[in-house]
Amino acid sequence: MSTLRTTERPAAGGRFRFGDSLAGYGFLAPWLVGFFLLTLGPAIASFYLSLTDYSGLGAANWVGAENYVRIATDDPRFWTAMNVTFTFVLLSVPLKLIFALAVAVALNRGLAGLSFFRAIFYLPSLVGGSVAVAVLWRQVFAGDGLLNQALNALFGFEGPSWISNPSTSLYTLVLLAVWQFGSSMIIFLAGLRQIPQDMYEAASIDGASKARQFLKITLPLLTPVIFFNAVILTIDAFKAFTSAFVISDGTGGPIDSTLFYTLYLYQEAFTNFRFGYASALAWVLVLIIAFFTAMSFLTARFWVHYDD
Amino acid sequence: MTDAALSTTTIAPRTDTGEPSVSPWKRALLYALLLAVSFLMLYPLLWMVASSFKPDSEIFTSTGLVPADLTVDAYRRGWSGLSIGFGWMFFNSLVISLLVVIGNLFSCSMAAYAFTRLRFKGRGFWFTLMLGTLMMPQHAVLIPQYVMFLKLGWVNSILPLVVPKFLAIDAFFIFLMVQFFRGIPRELDEAAIMDGCGPLRIFLKVILPLSTPVLATAAVFSFIWTWDDFFAPLIYLNDIEKYTAQLGLRTFVDSTGTSDWGSLFAMSTLTVLPVFILFILFQRLLIEGIATTGMKR
Amino acid sequence: MTTLALNKIKKSFGNLDIIRGVDLAIGSGEFVVFVGPSGCGKSTLLRMIAGLEPISGGELSIGGERMNERAASERGIAMVFQSYALYPHMSVYKNMSFGLETAKMPKPEIDKRVRKAADILQITHLLERKPKQLSGGQRQRVAIGRAIVRDPKIFLFDEPLSNLDAELRVQTRVEIAKLHKDIGATMIYVTHDQVEAMTLADRIVVLRAGVIEQHGTPLEIYNRPANRFVAGFIGSPKMNFLDVVASDVRDDGVSIDLAGRKARLPIEARVVDGAKLSLGLRPEHIGTDETGGLDLGALTVVHVEHLGGQTVVYGRLVDGQSLTVALDGQRAISAGSTLAVRIAAENCHLFDEAGDRIGK
Repeated sequence: MSTLRTTERPAAGGRFRFGDSLAGYGFLAPWLVGFFLLTLGPAIASFYLSLTDYSGLGAANWVGAENYVRIATDDPRFWTAMNVTFTFVLLSVPLKLIFALAVAVALNRGLAGLSFFRAIFYLPSLVGGSVAVAVLWRQVFAGDGLLNQALNALFGFEGPSWISNPSTSLYTLVLLAVWQFGSSMIIFLAGLRQIPQDMYEAASIDGASKARQFLKITLPLLTPVIFFNAVILTIDAFKAFTSAFVISDGTGGPIDSTLFYTLYLYQEAFTNFRFGYASALAWVLVLIIAFFTAMSFLTARFWVHYDD
Repeated sequence: MTDAALSTTTIAPRTDTGEPSVSPWKRALLYALLLAVSFLMLYPLLWMVASSFKPDSEIFTSTGLVPADLTVDAYRRGWSGLSIGFGWMFFNSLVISLLVVIGNLFSCSMAAYAFTRLRFKGRGFWFTLMLGTLMMPQHAVLIPQYVMFLKLGWVNSILPLVVPKFLAIDAFFIFLMVQFFRGIPRELDEAAIMDGCGPLRIFLKVILPLSTPVLATAAVFSFIWTWDDFFAPLIYLNDIEKYTAQLGLRTFVDSTGTSDWGSLFAMSTLTVLPVFILFILFQRLLIEGIATTGMKR
Repeated sequence: MTTLALNKIKKSFGNLDIIRGVDLAIGSGEFVVFVGPSGCGKSTLLRMIAGLEPISGGELSIGGERMNERAASERGIAMVFQSYALYPHMSVYKNMSFGLETAKMPKPEIDKRVRKAADILQITHLLERKPKQLSGGQRQRVAIGRAIVRDPKIFLFDEPLSNLDAELRVQTRVEIAKLHKDIGATMIYVTHDQVEAMTLADRIVVLRAGVIEQHGTPLEIYNRPANRFVAGFIGSPKMNFLDVVASDVRDDGVSIDLAGRKARLPIEARVVDGAKLSLGLRPEHIGTDETGGLDLGALTVVHVEHLGGQTVVYGRLVDGQSLTVALDGQRAISAGSTLAVRIAAENCHLFDEAGDRIGK
């Protein structure tokens, strides 16, 4: 993402300075109102609420850092949610990246039908977040679902109910996430297209093998795109909600095995109406995401290759 | 990307293969592999659609795609499976999605125009903040927003779902449009200035007409994401007659449990159908929209 | 009569001065060309006149009225952009009528003007097309048409030919000259191409680093360049500059010492004996057959370009200084040979160490 160039020509003549500012803020007005009313204000309010015991009704009593202390020391479900979420993030993000990159590289070989495959692989990303797909997943991985029917028909294997088994339920959700690798793949494809073809020609003349070309040209030049995808996917993975909610009937079950952080947050806020406590949970999530993003950017300079 | 942005051919298939050394049988193998993977990926979706036309007894015994006994019974049962018909919920979803499309196009294009074309004090500062909100998870603001809408009496109405979109809350679309507007030559603005246009007329008569590709992209994404959204309706809509199709489907799951997969699949298929149609019609725009967001520049 | 006057016009971006005090008066109906190397500020100056760039200092007046604060559209000017800047989504007709519609001119009047301009430019058959469907030359015409319909007092052209191929460029150049003759409006034209400047201009303004180096008719500038920069910039091939030493300075002339060869030039030079000067010689003025004038000695030919109508010889003089000679016609000269070259005394230019012209 680039920032605005600062050397841009001014839009109009000298006397328009004031008029221009007026126009600028006029056009920006909806966003500015939204920013203050729906983003900045609520962000501050949410931090304040996190220091209270607000329940949505009555007064918000100041409790200081108590909510945070309780999160850290006296809330086993928080740690369960952390465990579930981190497992989900650390499994789904790398798998998605690898899948997306592999398919993008395969598709970038100048095959006919590229747009066809691209569309097919992208479709799950588009519908994957819907309730319908969560419903479908529930059936596919049920004890008598599609997967077990297929396993039975092909190998005579009697599979368990993947969804209702706490040791496998989370992995069905990981699989659902990886199934939606399409949008990352499209970004990879666009990135691959930016790599100048003559680099490969030069490498071929130098006698570099295909594998070596991939390791020494494709991968390094693609690092900015890998970085971008990794950051976006990580943030998205932390925010995953719908599939876990629908598949577990909003409980995060069985026995909290799919209790995503956002699901726990939702339960605390909108089932138990602990707005103060949920706000603290929200801020912990924001800090975790901020920490991950900051770490990505800090480590980026050691492995991300930029031209400029 | 002056021209690329205007011609929307950014990622058209490459004509030079660049790898003449791929032998025919390797190529065939690659095709076979890709076909196998795509088939496997699509299979659950296809099976869901196929199963919605099967009698209930067949769903749990057949992994095939062709119903032995084609029936629309499941649709009939599902459509009136809740106390409120699904048709009403589809209508709710449609109204909300269309309003969101209008809101996003209106507010995000204005913001993007200000960020790319107008000079004013603090522009860089606000732009940086806008990029910051791209990264920020909505959870940080969720509860106060809810409390605010509650106090306004907006909860259990579509206002919390729609009004924020008129305030350019979806920074992603601002970003998408900024990228596109930057590709429109600045000399066009200047020609319009010479033709006596002020900022508003330049926006309406020059920038917007030239931006139909990105406006269409934003519109389609807005529609699909709103149509598919579950979280916001879940929080803000309480009465079943105000439910969106997604909420209705989820309620349907709860009420039928796992007893009537046929009608669940039928209703699932129906909720996915609009997205699927838009995908077929606009897949090029959608794919290019996704591709440009990942690119520097 | 003056239509446009620049009075100590300045432009700075932050600490960077782009235009450093320009004074210029342009007469009604005049065709003025701003020329100079890239970065000299010629385009910025034009954009300031147009109203696209704020003026940092000085005064711009058009028709005697101060214009610094006026909006671009209220200055009675029209501009043809380098990239033409045609609105891609509008038809040719609409491109031309758009500004008039913005000014709320009555429809019949707009139609009359558009059709008249189209007629002048012979693009009537293209009126319903979109810019995408036009060739480069046709787009250029539409861009000019868009300017004509506004019936401006002043036309501004910002390098309008730079996007055309060589053949079309010459053709369009002729058409612009004809257009100027036909409608008689004031035109200001920016280019870095000195041939365009020479062929189109009533008056050339040579700019460098935000300052006017010289202005005058093309031949004035060619014949009497005010300094080494202008001398080198106008004329092709470029003027030769030879290091010489002045001696025997008197009212009627000066003697110069060119590597031991002495010659007397009838130039009134206010320099001291022994001053180091620069002798400017246009390649096309140097000859091989002349008898009189200044003897430059033997030229050792390094490289020859046969252009058909002209033969350009690159060589070295006895003292090692490079010299380019442009001879008429086709000459059988090859690298390695030597030529005796001379030049008429009245074609010699002298510049002092600061680069300024010596004598009238």
